[in-house]
Amino acid sequence: MTFEIAIDDRSRTVSVERTAAGRFRVIVDGRPHDVDAVRAGVFGLSLLLDGHPASSREIQIAPSGDGGSGQLLVGIDGRTVAATVNARRKRRAGAHGGADTDGEQKVVAPMPGRVVRVLVAPGDAVVARQGVVVVEAMKMENELRSPKAGRVKDVAVTAGMSVEAGRVLVVIE
Amino acid sequence: MKILIANRGEIAVRIIRACREMGLPTVAVYSECDRGARHVREADQAVHIGPSEAARSYLRIDAIVDAARDAGADAVHPGYGFLAENAAFARACRDAGLTFIGPSPEAIALMGSKTAARQAAIRAGVPVVPGTEQPLDERVPDAEILRIADAVGYPLVVKAVAGGGGKGMRTVDDAASLGAAVRTARSEAGSAFGDTSIYLERRIVEPRHIEIQLLGDTYGTILPFAERECSIQRRHQKVVEESPSMAVTPDLRRRMADAAVAVARTVEYSSAGTIEFLLDRDGAFYFLEMNTRLQVEHPVTEMVTSIDLVQWQIRIARGERLNVDSGRALTPHGHAIECRIYAEDPDQGFLPSPGLIRGLRPAAGPGVRDDGGVSVGYTVPVFYDSMIAKLVVWAASRREAVDRMARALREYQVLGIRTTIPFFLWLMRQPEYLDGRYDTTYLDRLLAERAGRTFSDLTAEEEELTAMAVAVDAYLRLSEGQAAARQVDLQGLWKQAARREALRG
Repeated sequence: MTFEIAIDDRSRTVSVERTAAGRFRVIVDGRPHDVDAVRAGVFGLSLLLDGHPASSREIQIAPSGDGGSGQLLVGIDGRTVAATVNARRKRRAGAHGGADTDGEQKVVAPMPGRVVRVLVAPGDAVVARQGVVVVEAMKMENELRSPKAGRVKDVAVTAGMSVEAGRVLVVIE
Repeated sequence: MKILIANRGEIAVRIIRACREMGLPTVAVYSECDRGARHVREADQAVHIGPSEAARSYLRIDAIVDAARDAGADAVHPGYGFLAENAAFARACRDAGLTFIGPSPEAIALMGSKTAARQAAIRAGVPVVPGTEQPLDERVPDAEILRIADAVGYPLVVKAVAGGGGKGMRTVDDAASLGAAVRTARSEAGSAFGDTSIYLERRIVEPRHIEIQLLGDTYGTILPFAERECSIQRRHQKVVEESPSMAVTPDLRRRMADAAVAVARTVEYSSAGTIEFLLDRDGAFYFLEMNTRLQVEHPVTEMVTSIDLVQWQIRIARGERLNVDSGRALTPHGHAIECRIYAEDPDQGFLPSPGLIRGLRPAAGPGVRDDGGVSVGYTVPVFYDSMIAKLVVWAASRREAVDRMARALREYQVLGIRTTIPFFLWLMRQPEYLDGRYDTTYLDRLLAERAGRTFSDLTAEEEELTAMAVAVDAYLRLSEGQAAARQVDLQGLWKQAARREALRG
């Protein structure tokens, strides 16, 4: 079985073949590994990697949020990264639906809150991770950032507005 | 003594634990979204007090007093936050014949006003940060504030009189930016505390936040504890605390403890409380404010003194005498560190990350204490502060405590949501933190320098490993799914076979 695995937006082609009970041949972008893998709880995976003695790693893989986004949160020794399976294929499928949205990114409210400040105006150039809107939620002011470098196409909110989770605040193209 | 806990989350669980150890029955209160919360499940009884919004549940004095009466509670523990420093709540409890586990309403009211508290400190002969002694309400004209600011001196800090937790607080470097700072501080203070009054305070250069925990009984004994260092702050919010402080000598500790007791005496303080000081780079300290409640970071004091502060709050409320050895309270044994674990994404500017907790395995092992407030299957709600646990470690020395914290953070698994654990793991490796060379401005400066670089940095090898794990996981889920589907088919075949048998018979 071959998968496209994206970790923090970097994609890799990974094929998995079971060679014996609990043993797998895994090829990551052409690099082969022999892995011993067993489940460790509902979301955990214990891996013993090629080498003598085998190095032992435990990885936790759980759906993020309600699971609907298809995003996985992967825990590795206290750190957390986002991963998706077959993301590239999904993105291509999405692009068929409307080619004009290609490259456009929306900054949405991650939770209900109140817009405190709008930091950009339509037409502004922004760099990746630049703050665009400040939303007060959960007793804190939170700066929401641009997911990419580009230009502000639309600002859909004004300071003082209450917003629901998922509401589009700013569109970057 | 049956105790109603007027709070939620980890502090409610912490108080229930103390009560259970003392054999005292507990009553939890909960809002709509907290029905499945841990504090509700762990208490002996639970009362629903309203919808999810705090203003309609955990902040409703009438609903909580009614709940206490209905449940036949004798006492109310307010925890921290919500109504803990609300004098009207303490008074309402007293009027309803309930013992409020905390100081008198008078002490809460007086120390709740920053300017009144400063005056109390001055009366007690304790140095305060130079600043205005009277609240400046909205009627004070800008020109007057400008004149007062010149007398205080720049740089200065504009603070809300009713403030706390960094809200309504602005740093001003020169006269030109004073007006804007006053306006934003007033507006923040108005929405957070319903009081737009502000005051001005000189800004201390390279300040460390050092605080002295106190316990007072109802017979006039006030006991000071070894200091806590809380200078690791993000936007004026404490994120890591420790005890003892690397900046405090035994002599300074003694002097700060004496000053703290002197301030507390002016209000005949009883129960647990904390005097906060700023310590400047020359070793001079200034009274900042008094918190008339149990602090979030109380466990680090408990770890280095082996004195249970929550149990003592309850004992004092029952009328017991505080008979703890003062040397034991003031002499830290070993070193303790606390990290506040939030449901926030440090890689997105610490954006709240509420949601379903799919897996949870707190750290354990030698010297580790997990004061958690959540459990698997619980959805961290959007309505409250997003702290889900406090991870506390103890070790014989600071260096060992830092190493132990790093080990415990690596063990701590929270699945399904983002937390601040990766950030703390990174912080535990920073040279300034390891050396104890930091002040309250350190973390914000450090974070600004990082300019949004992520904390969960994986090596190339770890990224490859992660990709492999995700792929094997997907493979296993698909084959498990197929096996389950085959199982269903087999059952179908069995049924068909059985039906055929029946027909034949």
